[in-house]
Amino acid sequence: MAFLSSNDVTEIKRLFEKLSADVRLIYFTQRESPPFVPGQECETCKDTRLLLEEIAGLSDKIHLDVHDFVADGEMAREYGIDRIPTLVLSADGVKGQIRYFGMPSGYEFSVLLGSLLDASQGTSALSEETVEVLQGLDRDLHIQVFVTPT
Amino acid sequence: MAIENSRIVADVVEVNEFPHLAQRYAIRGVPKTVINETVEFVGSIPESQFVEHIQRASSPSAS
Repeated sequence: MAFLSSNDVTEIKRLFEKLSADVRLIYFTQRESPPFVPGQECETCKDTRLLLEEIAGLSDKIHLDVHDFVADGEMAREYGIDRIPTLVLSADGVKGQIRYFGMPSGYEFSVLLGSLLDASQGTSALSEETVEVLQGLDRDLHIQVFVTPT
Repeated sequence: MAIENSRIVADVVEVNEFPHLAQRYAIRGVPKTVINETVEFVGSIPESQFVEHIQRASSPSAS
């Protein structure tokens, strides 16, 4: 089953025409069939992968890397990832880190598409004043935004 | 924001999938934003106010 309708696909392809640099979707998941480690079931891991595959299929500038949270544990630790499903958006123009924990569905899906575009273009939609403050930061900043799928 | 500075890590967390985080950060409304475990606010706010929160979270007295 496809997550994206043909209308979605048309709209997203139009949006992706604005992509500039390549974007890497670094996705951490787990094996998708039993046996699962008790307490470690990941209900949305498979659906998230399928959704990301559909997105990556819509532009040759979007590359999907799928990693196993356990088998590639060292890499997961390098990215500071302690839970799945997790998606890291990586592109040359992204200086910090952009991560999504959980399946980006509903409103978060459009947020993800916007982030993809920003990451590819290496620009944020922020004002000059904001950018100045951000660039002047002299300590690390961890911003977590908690959402629900609506 | 994370595009602009290598010191910034920006996370979007779907709380229904991580109930222990909902509990840990006492999430009762969304979107809830937590900066460096020290500053938090609920709802969408203007960019300028967001920046004020960031400045508060990154000031030497916040730790």
